[in-house]
Amino acid sequence: MISVTPRAISEQDIKIDLNNLSPEQVALDIDRLNLYYGDKQALHNITMSIPKGQVTAFIGPSGCGKSTLLRCINRMNDLVDICKVEGEINLHGENIYGRQVDVAALRRKVGMVFQRPNPFPKTIYENVVYGLRITGIKDRRVLDEAVETSLRSAALWNEVKDRLHESALGLSGGQQQRLVIARAIAIEPEVLLLDEPTSALDPISTLTIEELINDLKKQFTVVIVTHNMQQAARVSDQTAFMYMGELIEYSDTNTLFTAPLKKKTEDYITGRYG
Amino acid sequence: MQTWFKSGSPWIWLSASGVSISLISVLGLLWLIASRGLTYFWPADIVQFELTNEFGVSSTVIGEIYDREEIPVEQLAHTQMVFAPGVSSIERLLVKTGNRELVSLDFRWLISPHIKSMTTPKDIAVIERTTNGNFYGYIDKLILDGGAVELSHLDELLERVEALQHEIDSVQKSDIGAINYQLEKLRLKQRKHVLDNTLTNAVEREIQIQISQLNEQYQVLEQGLMKLREKIARDQLVVVAMDGQKLTLGFEDVLKVTFNNKLTLVDKISVFLRQLKAFVSDDPREANTEGGVFPAIFGTVLMVLLMTVIVSPFGVVAAIYLHEYAGKNALTKLLRIAVINLAGVPSIVYGVFGLGFFVYMVGGSLDKLFYAETLPSPTFGTPGVLWSAITLAILTLPVVIVSTEEGLSRIPASMRHGSLALGATKIETLWRIILPIASPAIMTGIILAIARAAGEVAPLMLVGVVKMAPNLPLDGNFPFLHLDRKFMHLGFHIYDVGFQSPNVEAARPLVYATAMLLVSIIVALNMTAVTIRNRLREKYRMLEH
Repeated sequence: MISVTPRAISEQDIKIDLNNLSPEQVALDIDRLNLYYGDKQALHNITMSIPKGQVTAFIGPSGCGKSTLLRCINRMNDLVDICKVEGEINLHGENIYGRQVDVAALRRKVGMVFQRPNPFPKTIYENVVYGLRITGIKDRRVLDEAVETSLRSAALWNEVKDRLHESALGLSGGQQQRLVIARAIAIEPEVLLLDEPTSALDPISTLTIEELINDLKKQFTVVIVTHNMQQAARVSDQTAFMYMGELIEYSDTNTLFTAPLKKKTEDYITGRYG
Repeated sequence: MQTWFKSGSPWIWLSASGVSISLISVLGLLWLIASRGLTYFWPADIVQFELTNEFGVSSTVIGEIYDREEIPVEQLAHTQMVFAPGVSSIERLLVKTGNRELVSLDFRWLISPHIKSMTTPKDIAVIERTTNGNFYGYIDKLILDGGAVELSHLDELLERVEALQHEIDSVQKSDIGAINYQLEKLRLKQRKHVLDNTLTNAVEREIQIQISQLNEQYQVLEQGLMKLREKIARDQLVVVAMDGQKLTLGFEDVLKVTFNNKLTLVDKISVFLRQLKAFVSDDPREANTEGGVFPAIFGTVLMVLLMTVIVSPFGVVAAIYLHEYAGKNALTKLLRIAVINLAGVPSIVYGVFGLGFFVYMVGGSLDKLFYAETLPSPTFGTPGVLWSAITLAILTLPVVIVSTEEGLSRIPASMRHGSLALGATKIETLWRIILPIASPAIMTGIILAIARAAGEVAPLMLVGVVKMAPNLPLDGNFPFLHLDRKFMHLGFHIYDVGFQSPNVEAARPLVYATAMLLVSIIVALNMTAVTIRNRLREKYRMLEH
């Protein structure tokens, strides 16, 4: 077995049964999801429920479809012309691939942070309020307040409070990534998708972000894709292992890393391939 | 040798020499234009030549030396001149003698065997006049207000005359010009009423009253003008030309008197600067061969700015559609190729198109719809500054489209994704993120468009440029900017002065001076745009991934 120490279980980690979630406990319900890039099928019949207020990690080797699955949740895959999706993802019992769905409104509910920090070439302040301005909020007080709250939640406030009106591009990589997280949580989404958020960062910035993820789950449901198993073990409550576009195993992190049920999972987490 | 080749040095030398050759040709061009152009303003020495021709007839010529060249002796075989054996070529000088009222040509070739002496007497005056070009000669007498005065009063006299002249100009141009403009407006108003069948007696009476009021005002101004003219006519200058003739010049014609041979270096520099200033701020005279080029500068700049205002939004919108919205299929590819190839269409073709489509079709229809009262004389159905700007906008459209599209495609996808993931729609993303980041590229397109448009002459000759425009397209009469007016342009001015003027010799330095001015204006316009672009670049500097 790989020597990872799962997070100590604290009181707030209510033991939940992934196979038997009550409707209030479910944030997202993915149902028989198939995804094709042209003729090539990238996701095979994925069915899983992501619990509310918890951190769920997707792990797996490169090209296994974990990022693709993540991008399905806020329909970023719509940007790929040849991409075709079958099946359902339900948010509050409503299929986000339904005909009536306003994609922009969906993305306000399901925020996303990308692999590389992508702050806009604007000031720090304008980066954070971007989502709010889009929704038409102009009140200076509301914006100021949102900037402070979200920068505090992203553990960035103390570092940037004196230079809010300077360019965001002057920040370091780790700070930029936290700024992007602040930007995403400023519009108060319900679900926050993190697509390998630390892969472009140094170890210290990575640690800061991991601590941040731990705090974020108090307010949001967090789904994180990572290629780093230790990271998954450190930050997540549930872990899903994917391989070749299929969901191989999905259970609470502790179980998955210490007593995997499937052979493939065991091979992967022990480093036999991947 | 083998290793030398392998080291890559020959290629470095080759590419470096390529750069050097381009640099040398650009600098050489600028140097030639600048040196030839700027000497035009430098006060040259005035030389008095004593000549004796082969028949023993003597004469005196006063003038500026413009050019020197060697000609072979054979060219003079038809004359009776005898040359020493062994002499194969002799020098001849081109001299500007001015005084056009006395001799038909103000340039003369003098051959060196004829020249007995060359002196530069201190008291030869160069008198710049509004008619008949420069006068070279001696001042005999000054007449101030009808009575002869000392020569030392010359400066005082010139100032007085200049003040009067200035007054006359302002009355003539702005006051009387405005009255004429209003009279024309009234005439058109009356005609419009006639055409609409709404001309009642009351309206007609009102118009007549206004016309008579304007005519009264005109009379008053006219009388004032007459008085000023009389006043100015009382100042005269009696001068002696090179052949001893005495002439009386009215001061109303005299612009400036300088004694070039007396000037110190400092004086010369100040004369030089004054001439330069006059060149860029005065109106042309004498069929454009003298005076300044202000209307041409103004026309060029105005037309280019109008063109920029028209081409930028269209080019950017077209590029956005092609890059963001058009499907990625064969049709789009074809469209893109067509746009790129548009840049290769000869500019005169755009001129023909502009004349046929904008001037005759669009302009003609506009006239019928909105300016029926002025017909048959056209308002927009004739070449003008608006049609020129639009024609050049079409000519430069491909440049703006191509560079904007390139700018759009350089923007990393992460910017779009970041914005979309925050719940922005595509149009919001474009407007708030993509366009600002692409703005330096758009500016690059505009810079290229300006550079191309400012240098185009051929299409303009068909759609709006004239040799001499009586009015600027911008003046004090409502609506101030008259887009229907014809205008002057530096590029056309060069062509006109250099090839169409009655006096090509006199105009040659002017051609260089105008060319220099055109280059400086294009450089100035470009520098402005480049500065704006660099500011934008600094602002939207992309992450160095």
